Amino acid sequence: MGRMSDAPKPDGGTVGRFRSVVLPHLDAAYGYARWLTRDPVEAQDVAQEAMLRALRYFHAFRGEEARPWLMRIVRNTWIDLRKRNGAEKLPLEVLETRAAEGPDPEQSALAGDRRRQVAAALAALPAESREVLVLREIEDLSYKHIAAVLDLPIGTVMSRIARAREKLVVELKGRLERSEHGLPDL
Amino acid sequence: MDCPTCETMVDAYVDGELTTSESAAFERALEGCPECRRRLEAARTLSGLLRELPAEPAPDLLRARIERELRTIAGASRVRLPGAGMRWGAMAASLIVAVSIGWLGGSLVGQGGRETDELVAGYIRMAMSEHGVDVASSDRHTVKPWFAGRIDYSPPVHDLTQEGFPLVGGRLDFIDGRKVAVLVYRHNQHRVALTLWPSSLSGNTAATVRQRDGFALAEWRHDGFDMRAVADLAPAEMKAFTTAVDAAVTEDR
Repeated sequence: MGRMSDAPKPDGGTVGRFRSVVLPHLDAAYGYARWLTRDPVEAQDVAQEAMLRALRYFHAFRGEEARPWLMRIVRNTWIDLRKRNGAEKLPLEVLETRAAEGPDPEQSALAGDRRRQVAAALAALPAESREVLVLREIEDLSYKHIAAVLDLPIGTVMSRIARAREKLVVELKGRLERSEHGLPDL
Repeated sequence: MDCPTCETMVDAYVDGELTTSESAAFERALEGCPECRRRLEAARTLSGLLRELPAEPAPDLLRARIERELRTIAGASRVRLPGAGMRWGAMAASLIVAVSIGWLGGSLVGQGGRETDELVAGYIRMAMSEHGVDVASSDRHTVKPWFAGRIDYSPPVHDLTQEGFPLVGGRLDFIDGRKVAVLVYRHNQHRVALTLWPSSLSGNTAATVRQRDGFALAEWRHDGFDMRAVADLAPAEMKAFTTAVDAAVTEDR
């Protein structure tokens, strides 16, 4: 991705095309940022910055699929902002408590204890495992698109997904045993 | 196919990433491999659990902020907004805090949900508008008199620059069909909104801060005013804001 000074300034026409091609994926961008940051306020900052970057890079968009293209920008934005802000600030317990409360307890229907446990277990995974599962299961991207987002070979994506599922099973089992709500087949 | 081979294919199979012939070979191998069947079931169960997590859509406020940026950029040749010289990254980080002050009397009692919706909607309108305020000034002696004749009470107005929340200005809004005043503050590059109106109850209450839709809402009563603050701030920052408001109001008595 070029530096800002390399890019032509977007005009009204570019913004119009951007609206119809990229903006429809704002929910996906926010959802991904939400799981990366594990914080609703930070996720908004990442998603907004990513959208503005995407507009800046839009002249280089060659009509490939917009969603993985945008997700890659979201991820890079998150990495950059995290560097700028000095790594992850919150201790894990805080994040886990938050995740256990659901993304937004008042608004969304994260009612069931099981779903809360699943969300908390996913939030507790290391970023490398977390993001690959989010891209695969929540954003429903193919291995090829995940490879493009993460800038990794497909074989690496495949083994990361397998490893991430194993970790999530362990994490989830521990939680469910503690809360005495068993799950079959794990 | 030996087990180490079929083991590596379990996840790709669940994810539909195998070719037809690979799938067929995997399914044949599975028949003689209980361990891989177990892995397959676990992967499927896990996949199902993750897919039933509810998606959280982009908050309205985020959408509003992006819309504002896009409109600014689309019309950049003719409109020069305040702050347009700022780096985009800094603008992206911008938070909005507004304080609305309105006379609502006891009419909001029992309408917590609707009141919150209206406060949030007003906040988003403020966030989407170019300036966000009807009277732009960091001087309380400019902002406070501006409300005279526009609403039927005089809200306490204080600049909170020293506490990290400089006053941006004031505006009017409608909540529950009544005209209310909104004070807008800034926090770093972010704006913050607080609504207050004369209370029908006496006594001060501590601010309760909760999160909704990615921003913080504070609710409390201080010195005869019911206060409501809305901002896309972290809860701790919102709490600091409410403390700063209380201190300024108390000191001014």
